[in-house]
Amino acid sequence: MRWDLIIPLLTFFPVLLIQITIVPLVSISGVAPDLILIILVYYSITRGQLYGTALGSFYGILVDLITGSLLGSAMLSKTLAGFTAGYFFGESKKERNIYTYNFSLIVFICAMIDNVVFSFFSAFDLQSNLLSLLFEQSLLPSLYTGVVSLLFIFSPFKRKTV
Amino acid sequence: MIKFLSKVWADFREYMVLVVLIIISLIILSQNQNPNVQKVRAIAFGSFATFTSIVSDIFSVTDLKRENKELRSTNANLMLQISKLRKYGIVNDELRRLVSFKDGSEYPLLPANIISRSLSLTQNTITLNAGINDGVSPGMPIINDQGIIGIVYSTSQDFSIARTIHNTDLKLAVMDERSRVQGIMKWTGGELIIINIPNNFDLEVGDRIITSEVSSIVPIPIPVGIIEEYKAVETSVFSYIRVKPFVDLTTIENVFVLAEVKSKQIEGLELNFFRRD
Repeated sequence: MRWDLIIPLLTFFPVLLIQITIVPLVSISGVAPDLILIILVYYSITRGQLYGTALGSFYGILVDLITGSLLGSAMLSKTLAGFTAGYFFGESKKERNIYTYNFSLIVFICAMIDNVVFSFFSAFDLQSNLLSLLFEQSLLPSLYTGVVSLLFIFSPFKRKTV
Repeated sequence: MIKFLSKVWADFREYMVLVVLIIISLIILSQNQNPNVQKVRAIAFGSFATFTSIVSDIFSVTDLKRENKELRSTNANLMLQISKLRKYGIVNDELRRLVSFKDGSEYPLLPANIISRSLSLTQNTITLNAGINDGVSPGMPIINDQGIIGIVYSTSQDFSIARTIHNTDLKLAVMDERSRVQGIMKWTGGELIIINIPNNFDLEVGDRIITSEVSSIVPIPIPVGIIEEYKAVETSVFSYIRVKPFVDLTTIENVFVLAEVKSKQIEGLELNFFRRD
């Protein structure tokens, strides 16, 4: 059995548990970091673009089902985020993109894509303010997620699993 | 041919998988109201909510002291209000008897705790530890002592998911308590606004907004919030009305499900968004 492929699927459940029970306690005005996205980016960088895309899709549909959001919206946004993160995959790039501040930058970029797509499909209509969509619903949560991902860079857990 | 396809797959497989998954996502997006999809959703969140409730209970215990203090304060305030209202109630009863009105002021309230919440800025939902076994069904309003929180969207045997007022998919019929002007309130992702109110209607900053009696979802007028900003838009015939909700969704933990449908006859006739399937 390919445990290296299955572990990322199993990791999702404890992380989602933390995301929906503990993370709300550290939210600022409703803006919360997305831990699911951080592990998605991590696995996409370490396991490649194809795997990252499929994993994003899997994570997204489960998020939609469990949290009650518009079914398919998180699936679409996380698929694109996983695909984007996969561009940073490569044996030579892995060390540089995970053990340094590059990781937070990649998380920020992927979170922006994730949030813009999610907001567009779940909230956008003709009366929506595009600036609000980009700033309040995308930039702020992405920045917070990027900052939280700094903790991951210094985590001892990461070096064991790579 | 096979060789060609193998080469195409080898060269473009990431893009091909991406396109296929995007198409699947779009198909799923169009199937949100499908009853089978709703069943799968109920099973998924019901199963996961069992674990969530365990973690949630642990964190709730640590917060009990603060919560008890707040509840004692609320109780004291409510006691004073009840005492005041009782006096009016007696007078009201006498007047109702005089005109032979039937009283329908008691509503069944099911207590529930929020065991998890999605903090999406556009699709805010909460999971409650009360489900079909407790008498909860889709369409029931979620309230607390301050006002309306949301509407039950999906239920499993022991849990339910509710869309809060901070969810773009929830649109509520509301009215101004003072002027009785009716409108539709919706969440834009950043603010609560009332839409399609013409510029010349009688609304003022500070007016209390409550759920409308014409709502097919909410059976009784429930406080929603106050008008925080009101201005006539020069380029439009409709006003810009921003509402500040009474309920702070980030701190609530204990809620009530108003286990009441507006009217069985109305429910049977109306095709609101819970009855599309």
